[in-house]
Formats: sequence, structure tokens, C-alpha cells
Amino acid sequence: MRTIALLGQPNSGKSTLFNALTGSHQHVGNWPGKTVERAEGFFTQGEDLYRVVDLPGSYGLTANSAEEMVTRTYIERGYADLVCIIVDAAQLERSLYMLADFAGVKSPVMLVLNMMDVAEQQGKKIDIQKIENLLKIPVLGFIASDLNGYPKFFKTLERAIEKPAMISSSRIRKFVEENADAKNVSVIEKLESLIENLKLGIREKFWMISKLLENDSLVCFEVRNAVGEERWSEIQKILDERGTDGGLLTGEAKYRFVSEILRDASSSCEKTMSLSRFDKIATHRIWGKFVAFFILVITLAVSMMIAVPIIAGCFGLQSVAEPLVVKMCESFGWWPSVASFINSVIVGGLAVTVAMMGFVFAILVTFGLMEDTGYLARSSYVFDSWLSRLGLHGKAFMPLFSGLACTGGAVCGTRVLDTRGQRLFAMVLLWSIPCGAKVSVVLFLASVFFGSAAPLFGVIYVAMIFASFWLSSKLFGNKLMPVNERVGMIMELPPYHKPHWKILMKTVGRNVWAIFKKAIAVIWLVSLIFWLVSYSKDGNVEHSVLYTIGNAIEPFTQIFGMRWQLFISYIGGIFSKEASLGVMSVVFASTNDAFSLISRNEAGANLGEMMRAVVSLPEALAFIFASMFNVPCVLTMGTTYRETHSFKWLLAIAGYYFAISLGLAFVVYHVALWVL
Amino acid sequence: MCLSEMKENQKGLIQKINGDSRFVSRVVSMGLPPSSPFLVLQNDGRSPVLLYSHDTMIAINRKECMQIEVEMA
Repeated sequence: MRTIALLGQPNSGKSTLFNALTGSHQHVGNWPGKTVERAEGFFTQGEDLYRVVDLPGSYGLTANSAEEMVTRTYIERGYADLVCIIVDAAQLERSLYMLADFAGVKSPVMLVLNMMDVAEQQGKKIDIQKIENLLKIPVLGFIASDLNGYPKFFKTLERAIEKPAMISSSRIRKFVEENADAKNVSVIEKLESLIENLKLGIREKFWMISKLLENDSLVCFEVRNAVGEERWSEIQKILDERGTDGGLLTGEAKYRFVSEILRDASSSCEKTMSLSRFDKIATHRIWGKFVAFFILVITLAVSMMIAVPIIAGCFGLQSVAEPLVVKMCESFGWWPSVASFINSVIVGGLAVTVAMMGFVFAILVTFGLMEDTGYLARSSYVFDSWLSRLGLHGKAFMPLFSGLACTGGAVCGTRVLDTRGQRLFAMVLLWSIPCGAKVSVVLFLASVFFGSAAPLFGVIYVAMIFASFWLSSKLFGNKLMPVNERVGMIMELPPYHKPHWKILMKTVGRNVWAIFKKAIAVIWLVSLIFWLVSYSKDGNVEHSVLYTIGNAIEPFTQIFGMRWQLFISYIGGIFSKEASLGVMSVVFASTNDAFSLISRNEAGANLGEMMRAVVSLPEALAFIFASMFNVPCVLTMGTTYRETHSFKWLLAIAGYYFAISLGLAFVVYHVALWVL
Repeated sequence: MCLSEMKENQKGLIQKINGDSRFVSRVVSMGLPPSSPFLVLQNDGRSPVLLYSHDTMIAINRKECMQIEVEMA
């Protein structure tokens, strides 16, 4: 088996290539010991099996973030048999910087110029053969989104494997020396003699020098350990004198290396560039936000249009399936509890999961479209000033906003963010953003107990969500997005592209299936636990384990102002928001004879009255506030687990929101007792 | 002068990038090393500056623009 590493800048089409090559044979996890996502997949060509590693996208090989560190380490240790560098042919000069930064690593390499069609449309002429002659490595002009072009890719791959070719950094060295004065040249020679004893591995000495000059943290660390303190202080002195000039010097030389390649091999007609009319509006400080809101509202509306029929269909099927299951069990002579188990856990869990997949699908499609077309970057541009206060990239706005439709789906939407720290933090924030169901439960309760004052709760709720953002950024922000890794917005706004429907739908389909598999496992598990503790032979809640537990811990839950009925409803809210109303119907109004969390128990007509008769105002307040920051729902837990690949993080986020919601209930209850 | 002082539709050349090496490497790898020509696409005085260089549209925060020295071309 051979390993191919895909290396390229963001927006170079790297993931399109990865998805097209590996199809459904891919695995996404974490890099060992790192909070960085690792995507690898397999494909066979002829009789050979290939492993493809999709390295996290970065603009160069200097290790500034956790993602870049993973990419860099993978490349410089030579873990891959072949490095495939993907560049955007329409932005050739800039994206070839990655190749220039790679030059000097002695790994077999091939170069793919992607999006040749776009380059052609822009009037650029690129002579692939000339580039190949100059670089002496296999080069391919390619359109990654065109599935018919792949035989060509495999041919080039074959050439690259049969005759391994590498790129040396000697040209770059020459440019550095040409550009620098005599003093600089002696600096390079001095540095070279100082790192004499260093184990270079597959890296050329000049590559190390240039990373030293760029003050790269990994190389500095390595050199320091290898040469000893005395030599290191000498090196340090040289580097300090240069300051950041060293990085500018090597950077300029690398671009000269690129221009030299392109001088004869590419030509483009001079065009005067200006903002398109749409971009003028889309990037406007005020209008841009309107455009983004408008697009988001449309997006959410379309998501609903896709999701609602699926949801309705699922619950329709569920109501058809349930009596059938009961009949079937009767005819087999099984206990009624078996029918109850099948209906509540298996059928119910499946219905809930499939229903919610509608949202996941819709959010993934619309986000994929926005990313594909290039609009996502524009919306990030206009919202960056809001989100950078939390330490997040402007891109986080879209997933956070879509949390208003479906938290679990929006958790999957955080994929648009570049670093795992940002994704985790966005997920933490998302859990506090209420979906439609949560809002309706909170407002229903508020109107039951406080009548016309209910809208006031809406206002308080919004204020508290922002307060929770602040709290989260204090607690998690620094850990997940270290301040010294944050760079103020320096962002590329990629040119608009036509969406690649076929690849998009395939990718989304695969992702939805993967998410479904994880989510259904979690949902079945949680349903099973709920079913076990809430089952009673006669349907009377007081004969269930839950009642016993609830009663036993009531002295404890009373601290938070929740008697056992309320606490069980609160726990039911973890399953879904509707379930918490359903539980209340059962425990307060006895409207349903079966105590089930999954069947969609609507709040009974007289639920409000019954509750007002039993529950005091301080208790009601405590419960309302606890519901606001309760764990969103079991689907969100499932998708969060799937997206973080970490059970630890799922528990951490869930624990955090338990603490907030119970803490809030405690404070509100005791203040209310004292005031009212 | 610094990048944020450039007006819309003006052309310039990058001269020097000030800041820590992390910032420098980011700007360089995004395609703006010293002596790169660029065109200012949008500078409304408040939002990040939009510029065009090496076939790429790049947005840079105003604070960061102050760290980039340029000359008019």
C-alpha cells in the first residue's frame, strides 16, 4: 500500500479531489494526541491499494496553528510515499507558494494545477509541459470536479511513483543571496555552520535555515535541543538581529522562484480588476449584513421546506407502525412490554432520528452551496467584527444563526470552520442558542404562569444567551483558540464558482449517513435508558423506577426549586424539548396512559390549569430558567459526539450546561422565594 | 504610508510588514510579500480593507493594515 498526502492551500479544491478519489472509503478521526481532524481514505488503482491523507489546509508550511503543525510535521518527517500538491490554476502565482515552501523537502512530489477551466475562462494560458520541464516533477492540468478527467490523474500518479522526483531549494537560496547584501549572505553561511550537527532527515539544510529565519517555532525548538545552549544563543543572537526581516527575505525569494517558473509558462491578458456589482453590496458594511440575513432566512426557509415533510412523514409512519407492532406482539403471544420496548425505543428512536436528519441534510446542502459558490467568505467578511470579539472567525456566523432552526443540524454546519478549536467553541455556543422547539416550550411555560408578561421572558432570554456567550468565551475561549494563535482577519475572498452539484450531493449524502449512524446509536441508547427507568406495567408513573428515583432525590432537587415532577420533566427535556412537555402532561394532567418520551405528546389542553394549581411561582420560574439552558436534545448530543469524535468533549459541554441551568434555577428560585 | 491610508482604486506596492513572525508569515503566505503590486478594491474607512493581488481578493482588518507599509505605484 502506498500513502499519498494531499497538500494545498484552502480553496484549492483539495477536498474535492480527496472525496472524488476515496468516495465512501474514508475515515475521519483525530490526529493522535491532537485536537485536529484527520481525514484519510483509500482507493485502488489497478492492483495497487492507495491510502490518501487529506492534510489540513494551510497557506504555507510554517507551523503557526495546531492544524499547520500537523501538516508540517507530516511533510517534514516524510510519512507519505508521495506528496501531491494541489494549486488553483486561476490563482497560480499565489497558490504555488505552497510548492516553493515545500521545495527542499526531499519527498517524491507531483503537482496538480486544479480548476484549469476557470483559468481558461479568465483568459489565462498555462503551458503544463513547460512547468514540468522547469520543475522536473510530474505536473497535471486538472479539473477536480470533472469526474471524467480522473484517468489522467491516475496516469500522472503512476509516472510520479515510477520515477520519484523531488524539488530542491537551491534556486530559492540563490534568490535569497541575490536579494540580500553581503552581510546577509554571511549570516546564512554562519547559520549553516552552526547547525552542522543537526539530523536533517529528508530536509535540505537551506530549508532548515529558511525556517529558522522565519522564526518557525518547530524548527527553533528542534535546533535548540540539537545544538546545545551555547550554539543556540549564538543562533538566537543572529535571528534577533534580523527580526522579522528574515521571513520577508525568504518569502520574497520564494515568490521569485514562483515567478521564474511562470514567466515563460503562463500568460494572462491584463484585465483591470474591480469589485463586481454584487460584491459591492455583499461586502458593504451595512448592506452586506442585510444580504447575509436575507440569504440565511431563505436558507432556513428552504431547510424547513425540506425537513418538514420528512418529519411529518416519519411521525405519520410511526403512528401507523405502532399499532402494527402491538398486533404483531399479541399474535406471537409476547408480553406487552416487548411491544412497548419496540415502539418506544426502536421505532420511536428511528422516527426521531430520521426526522431530524431532514434538518441536518438541509443545513449541510445549503452550507456546502455557500462554500462552493464562494459566498460564505463574503458573509464572514461582514460579520467578522461581531464574532472576533468572541475569538471566532466570521465564518461561524452561519452555523450559529442556523442554530435557531435546529441545534443538532447546526452542530454539523460548524464544519465550515477551519480549526478544531474554533469548531468546538462554536459548538459550545450553539448549545445555548435555542431552536424553535425550545423557544416554544419556554414561552408556553412563561405564558401559563405569567400570562401577558411572557414576552418579557423572551427579552431576558436573549440577554442571558449573550451573557452565556461571554461566560463561554471566558471559560473555553482561551483554551480552544489561544490568543497567540489568533491573527486578525486576513482572509481570502475566493472568486465565485458555479456549484458542483454532483460532488456536493454525494459528499452530503455520505456525511448524512455517517451522522445518522452515530446519532441513532446515541438515541437508541438514551431511549433505552429512559424506557427502562420509566416503564411501568400499568402505565402509572408512580410504579416506575423513575418515580422511585425522583422521589428519592427530591430533597436534593428541591434545592433548585424542582419537585420530582418538574425534575423529571427537566430530565425529559434532555431527550427533546417536546418530551419535557409530554412528561408534564403525564405527571401533572395524566393525559396519556403510557409514559413515553418519544411519542410526540402534545401539551394537554388543561395542562396549564393543572400546573398552575400545583406549581408555585418560584418553582415555575426556576423551571423556566432551567429549561432555557438545558441540554438541547439527544440529536444534538449525537451530532456533537460525531463531530468532535470525543466522548470527553460531549460530556464536558453537557456538564457545563447542566451546571448553568441548575445554577440559574437555584439562584432564581431562592431570589423569588425571598421577593415574592 | 500604511495600507489603510490607501484609497479605493489606487495601486501600490508592499514595502514592509511589521509585526511578529506569525503575522509576517501569514501575510507572506497569503500572497503579499514585499514588492508585491496590489490594487485597493474597497476602503470605506471602517470595514476591513479589500485588496487584489496575485489574482486573489484579500480582506485585511484595519488594525493589521496599519502594520503593512506600502508605497503608491
